[in-house]
Amino acid sequence: MINDVLVIGGGIAGIQAALDLAEMGVQVHMVEKLPSIGGKMAQLDKTFPTNDCAI
Amino acid sequence: MLDVGRHPKINLLAYSEVEEVSGEVGAFQIRVKQKARYVNADLCTGCGSCAEKCPSIVVDAYNVGLGNRKAIFKYFPQGIPSVYTIDAPQCRQLGQGKKCGVCAKVCQANAIDYEQKERTLDLEVGAIILATGYEVFDPSVIPEYAYDRIANVVTALEFERLLSASGPTAGHLDRPSEIAMEKEIEALEKEHKKLDRQVKQLEEKHGKTSSEVLDAAKGGTSIEGVDVAGWASSAEKLHGIEAVLSELHRKKATTHAAKKLAFIQCVGSRDFRFNRFCSSYCCMHSVKEAMIAYEHDNDVSTSIFCMDLRAVGRGFEEYKLRGGKQANIRYVRGRVAEITEDEAKNPIVWYESTANRQVVHEVFDMVVLATACVPSHGTKKLADLFGVELERNGFFKTHPLAPLNTSRPGIFVCGCAQGPMDIPESVAQASSAAARAAELVAPARHLAVAAK
Repeated sequence: MINDVLVIGGGIAGIQAALDLAEMGVQVHMVEKLPSIGGKMAQLDKTFPTNDCAI
Repeated sequence: MLDVGRHPKINLLAYSEVEEVSGEVGAFQIRVKQKARYVNADLCTGCGSCAEKCPSIVVDAYNVGLGNRKAIFKYFPQGIPSVYTIDAPQCRQLGQGKKCGVCAKVCQANAIDYEQKERTLDLEVGAIILATGYEVFDPSVIPEYAYDRIANVVTALEFERLLSASGPTAGHLDRPSEIAMEKEIEALEKEHKKLDRQVKQLEEKHGKTSSEVLDAAKGGTSIEGVDVAGWASSAEKLHGIEAVLSELHRKKATTHAAKKLAFIQCVGSRDFRFNRFCSSYCCMHSVKEAMIAYEHDNDVSTSIFCMDLRAVGRGFEEYKLRGGKQANIRYVRGRVAEITEDEAKNPIVWYESTANRQVVHEVFDMVVLATACVPSHGTKKLADLFGVELERNGFFKTHPLAPLNTSRPGIFVCGCAQGPMDIPESVAQASSAAARAAELVAPARHLAVAAK
């Protein structure tokens, strides 16, 4: 059994999954196609229903 | 985002793609290809002086084509990892074979490396989480909404960039038709300046005015030592540009920022021609965009055209009502049949008013299409690579009683890769997928068990 986990995609879902695992002490490898992580959420200005900033 | 880059337990492989997958749950062997950035990520400080001086201008994908960036770029200012990347096909030196090297000259950290090659890495992992997200539906395939023909019909993501303070218009609601007009004016003024200088130089050199030369050209007479035809054509071209410019300036003076907005819901979703499913977040997304637009400018009024407005979620119904009461939003029940355009480039929305049982039309400054959430471009390829099944709608298939399990043990899926969902649900799923994966790879299990 290998204890590492691979996360494909660095959007909000990938980021949350990777951080949760890393906080549990699991070694994570995150692969993102684009030059930066952030995904679609980084393109948003605010989020509903609270109008908080997305980034 | 920043935490991902900093966390000692996260190995971030950005600008990379998975090439090969083998093995099974507990021991997958993965081959990852890391593309060449042509920038040494360990040396780059992210200062941006390279992008400032880079001569190649490229349309910016982050701003969904509404702005420009350089060939050496950071995907967005806060992007992690905070390093620059050269877009090789657009680069003068790398892609076009010209001599440039400006970025290497200005880089104080000596981080530019035109010789950098792509890297292949081999990883061994116990579990995999697919969080590949979604793509925005391309509405140009819907003929009646004329997205590709009418400049002021935009997608929700384009509108989001226009609204954003960090976007191409700094949050000001300039209409795309006027942004295009400004670009046209800028290009024409540049050409005008160049031609004007040429003609003035000729006038000074020969001591004659352009009108004299034009008369000579008309009369067919020649002037000694002067290329009459060439001069006349430059002068005529100059007059032509001046006429077009004054017309454009006159038009520009009559324009104003977008004040009357229309949102059209279910563009590409709940439509049997394209996708049958509901994209779930677009109703609230439209309400949010209308509210932000109103916050920016209190003169903004919005009409949201929908079959039904789905505000299913914690605090969503209240948010919708607040939009109606405080942000000048009118909810109109009715599916829009067609969008046409008037002479001032205002979109006209034709719809059936179900309240009055009439077909009516209304002129708006800008129309926003609440486009569907569709699977990411590489989803099919990725499914083949990982040996997992897809649903009929193209998203990853999951087990009905274990909604994060794909068809292959040890591979989990979360967020919009599984189907359309909003941010809170994506985050909840991601935490859940992380727990499922951790459960699998935990080093010690079933040790503290009491015998019964």
